[in-house]
Amino acid sequence: MSALPPPPPQWVIDLNSTPASKPKNLSIPDPPGYTAALSSKQRSQSSKTAVRKAPTTEEMDTLKMKKAWELAIAPAKQLPMNAIGTLCANSHLYLGMYMTGNTLQIFSIFMVFTLFKTPVIAVLSLQRVFAPFETPGTSGRLIGVKIVYVLMNMLMLGLGIWKVNQMGLLPTTRSDWLAWEGERTWSERAVPRQWL
Amino acid sequence: MRFHALALAACLVLPGLAIFEDDAYHVDYHHALVGLPKHDTTFFQQPYAGSKASLLYTLSQKQVIAAVNPKDGALVWRQRLSGQRGMLRAGEEQDTVVSATGDSITAWSASDGRLAWEARMNGATVEDLEILEQEDGITNVDSKDAIILLGGGSPSVRRLDGKTGRVKWVYTDTSGDIPFQVSTSPTTVYYISLHTPILGGSKLKVTSLSPITGKKLDQYTLSSEGEIQSREHILFAGANTAAPLLAWTDKSNKVLKVNIIGTKGVSTFAPPSTDVVEKIILHAPNRVNSLAHFLVEYQTTAGHSAEIYHVDLKKNTISKAYSLPELGGKGTFTTTTSDANVYFTRITKDELTVVSSASHGILGRWPIKGLPSLAAAHPVHGVSEVVVKSGSASAVRSAVLFSNGQWVLVRNGEVAWQRPEFLSDTVSAVWAELPEEEALAHELEVEGHQNVFAAYIHRVKRHVRDLEHFPAWLQNIPNQILSNLLGKSQENAIGDIQHDTFGFHKLVVVATEPGRLAALDVGSRGKLLWNIDLQQYAPEATFVRPSLKASRGYVEVKDEGFEGSLLVNTTTGGLLSPKDIDLQPPVTSDAQTFVAFDLVDGELKGFFGTDYSSDPVWTFNPPDGEKIVNFASRPVKDPVASIGKVLGDRRVLYKYLNPNLVLVTAVLKSTHTASFYLLDSASGELLHAISHHDVDVSRPIPSTFSENWFSYSLTIDSTSDPASRGYQLVVAELFESDIPDDRGPLGASSNSSTLQPSSATGDVAKPYVLSQTYQIAEEISHMTVTQTKQGITSRELLVTLPSSNAIVGIPRHIIDPRRPVGRDPTTSEATEGLTKYTPFIFIDPKWHLNHKYEVIGIKGVITSESGLESTSLVFAYGQDIFGTRVAPSFAFDVLGKGFNKVQMLLTVAALFVGVLFVAPLVGRKQINSLWTM
Repeated sequence: MSALPPPPPQWVIDLNSTPASKPKNLSIPDPPGYTAALSSKQRSQSSKTAVRKAPTTEEMDTLKMKKAWELAIAPAKQLPMNAIGTLCANSHLYLGMYMTGNTLQIFSIFMVFTLFKTPVIAVLSLQRVFAPFETPGTSGRLIGVKIVYVLMNMLMLGLGIWKVNQMGLLPTTRSDWLAWEGERTWSERAVPRQWL
Repeated sequence: MRFHALALAACLVLPGLAIFEDDAYHVDYHHALVGLPKHDTTFFQQPYAGSKASLLYTLSQKQVIAAVNPKDGALVWRQRLSGQRGMLRAGEEQDTVVSATGDSITAWSASDGRLAWEARMNGATVEDLEILEQEDGITNVDSKDAIILLGGGSPSVRRLDGKTGRVKWVYTDTSGDIPFQVSTSPTTVYYISLHTPILGGSKLKVTSLSPITGKKLDQYTLSSEGEIQSREHILFAGANTAAPLLAWTDKSNKVLKVNIIGTKGVSTFAPPSTDVVEKIILHAPNRVNSLAHFLVEYQTTAGHSAEIYHVDLKKNTISKAYSLPELGGKGTFTTTTSDANVYFTRITKDELTVVSSASHGILGRWPIKGLPSLAAAHPVHGVSEVVVKSGSASAVRSAVLFSNGQWVLVRNGEVAWQRPEFLSDTVSAVWAELPEEEALAHELEVEGHQNVFAAYIHRVKRHVRDLEHFPAWLQNIPNQILSNLLGKSQENAIGDIQHDTFGFHKLVVVATEPGRLAALDVGSRGKLLWNIDLQQYAPEATFVRPSLKASRGYVEVKDEGFEGSLLVNTTTGGLLSPKDIDLQPPVTSDAQTFVAFDLVDGELKGFFGTDYSSDPVWTFNPPDGEKIVNFASRPVKDPVASIGKVLGDRRVLYKYLNPNLVLVTAVLKSTHTASFYLLDSASGELLHAISHHDVDVSRPIPSTFSENWFSYSLTIDSTSDPASRGYQLVVAELFESDIPDDRGPLGASSNSSTLQPSSATGDVAKPYVLSQTYQIAEEISHMTVTQTKQGITSRELLVTLPSSNAIVGIPRHIIDPRRPVGRDPTTSEATEGLTKYTPFIFIDPKWHLNHKYEVIGIKGVITSESGLESTSLVFAYGQDIFGTRVAPSFAFDVLGKGFNKVQMLLTVAALFVGVLFVAPLVGRKQINSLWTM
């Protein structure tokens, strides 16, 4: 058996029956800075005044390419900020090292993690990022943009690697491989006689 | 003030390498030994007049005066004397004991061992010391004076004030006789000397002196030249008795002659049995007011017997009262006085009997409940205290020295305590594994040599066999958990089943100078496991300085005194024949050429293999007539965790790790030079040489070698160089190259030979040596380095400081030769932990391993790995035995005592309960939130 649906809550009723957008009495002026919403009539009037010509396909492509280039260069724009951030983080790291004694800080670890994650994710979602700009006219030209985009992301990844190296996490020095170096074997063994 | 408090707080908070308070007295143990007590200088005595309890005082063969609590055998105080022949006397109801050795007479406070006064008789040696109990028949209650006999050019008798040690009078003997002894009676002081004519034996000359003025009263000579050939023939020169006696015998112990001092008559007695008497000992009470009775003990090869004599003071005669029957085996007698009565206690291996000196009736008899540790021993000498109530002895306690070196207190037949005093002669010690561990190691080795299948079967069989311990283990679990939770240490005893989790249980086998071998369990606070006389295994040998070497299951004993070696079972102390055991192969692997080196006729020589008759491979002879005094090589087991030292900038300085390095110490007395030569002992090549001038070469120059660094200590001669005096500690570290990331001329090649250097290197690759010298405040008599299982833990230099009776562990980073000199460390150096070089090392009190213990006469310190990488076991021997555990990089692999297991469990339980309660709440909330959507 089906029960009757409950009556709609008060807020639904309120939403559906909005008060009149404008009171009838116009003697009260609008507060300064308030632009009253145009009524549908006024809106149609204003749209009529600024009629725009629809852009051509070429224009559209050029616009899309512009937009795509912006997108491709975007990581590079972030780079200085990131660099400064990492530099700051570095100094912070050094400070942290100084204060806590050679421990990796949780902040810098997160930072480095995002530095690695962002470009990789970005490169993986390359097709999706540029899908809006994909038109028959732009597909050829978009390859260059994509390459630049990938390069820019690699640059960011490079920054991450540089930072990891700065943190001393990359095995680039002799001491990192010391554990794999063995003691020399000596072909002679000499002992004091009293040990025998 | 507040700043000071803050600084103090900072000091306390800063992690310092120190013994933690809760570890002290738990991880360490100390046998504060006295040495074997001497018969005539051991006595029970009240520490002050009117004291109810008495202490046991002794002056031992090691010249240590000690007061021991007779209740538990704990040492109350001890003082070490220098000199050869010491004497110790105490007056009745005095609060001091007086000792004499060499030219000094010292009075010590009897209750705490503090110095009361000291008198020095320049040049002369003290021959005898007595306390003047009575003066003209009246007891001096205030302080009793001491009478001393001085030898030397002109012998003299002096009376010293009992309070200050000031000389009251002097009597000088100009006759040229040999001074022998002084003796006092209530009215007279007797000076006994030996008058030796050109031919024949000695006559005894007795001079009576007035105790008040020191003037000569009388003098007479006893014709004893027929018997007395040497001092040993004089048995007794009675001290402080009502009737002082003088007893002597002849060379073959066939006659006993006794004289009451002050009279000219000599009584002659013959030993009771017809057997050859080995020794006659006269036991007499030493109190003024006691009965004039004495006991003569006759020791024969088969047994011992005694006769009791009475002295008639009126008639000046000596008569035999009764005799005690001969008993087989060895025994001893002690004399006790109680008021005027004299009691003799006879102590044999099996029983203890008390008789009165007046009659032969036995007042008390106690069988001695033998301990296994005293099984093969017999009593040598002792002292007793007897309580007699209504004609029978109700209690007796005797402090007896047994022939196996144990000083034992027998209380009414029960052994109350025993002190292993023979250990004070320890000259060498070695680590040995517990038998269970060795058995396991052996099994694993067997498995290692089999094929996979057979090894598997073997292992399964072994595990099935181990199951027999399972029920016992299961039973033990509740106890273990309980003791774990309550934080009790289960270090008291280790059974067969209980596994030694941390590897702290090891044996140390020690050898003493008279040829005794003993094993101590260092995990059970140095408990004595067995104790044997090496003489029984090698009857014709005399042991001078036995050296030990431990192998699996047995210890090899070598000595200059005999050829070959003795093999002794580590667990039982039984003798093994070489056939019973598979002798361990030498420390080398098969691929290595084996070279053995030794000091032969002042030259260091290396030989191929073990053939010493062939020509040496190399010979090292220091230049300019220097004499080799010592050499130090790396320990047999010296694991190195890292072959390089990582610098602050992450580059590497490679260590020069050559197992064959040996540091030779050579001295030249005439020029006060000490030189140190670093040799490669395989080729004999000299790698490095250092020479120090203005060195006092008569002082010890200890040195040690570990890993890639060595250390030695010197005493600067105070006479020659005014610029610098004191003691120096030198530490040197060897690297393959001075350039970081460079492996020197040998490059990255994985093998190396110093006998046949490769053509690429041309000559033998020499190490780059960095060294630094530090001034230290005290002389170091011995040094060694801690050892751990894998060598990951940083090492610590353990030095013995004899002047402060301490063993100190100096952390390695303090004596790092790379400490920057004259400047502050750079950032990268600071990250390495290097600090600016300071010429003086202040020995931090926190480094002392022995904290409140006073370890005296330490001859050597040995270290061993434990089951934990962080911890190294330390054992020090010599006069005292001391052992502890050190963790130079802190105990990083074991929970500290501060860890509250109960709290942890409670926290987990509380969390669990919390979850139980919160889970329904959260569930309800989640459902509610779903519904309100």
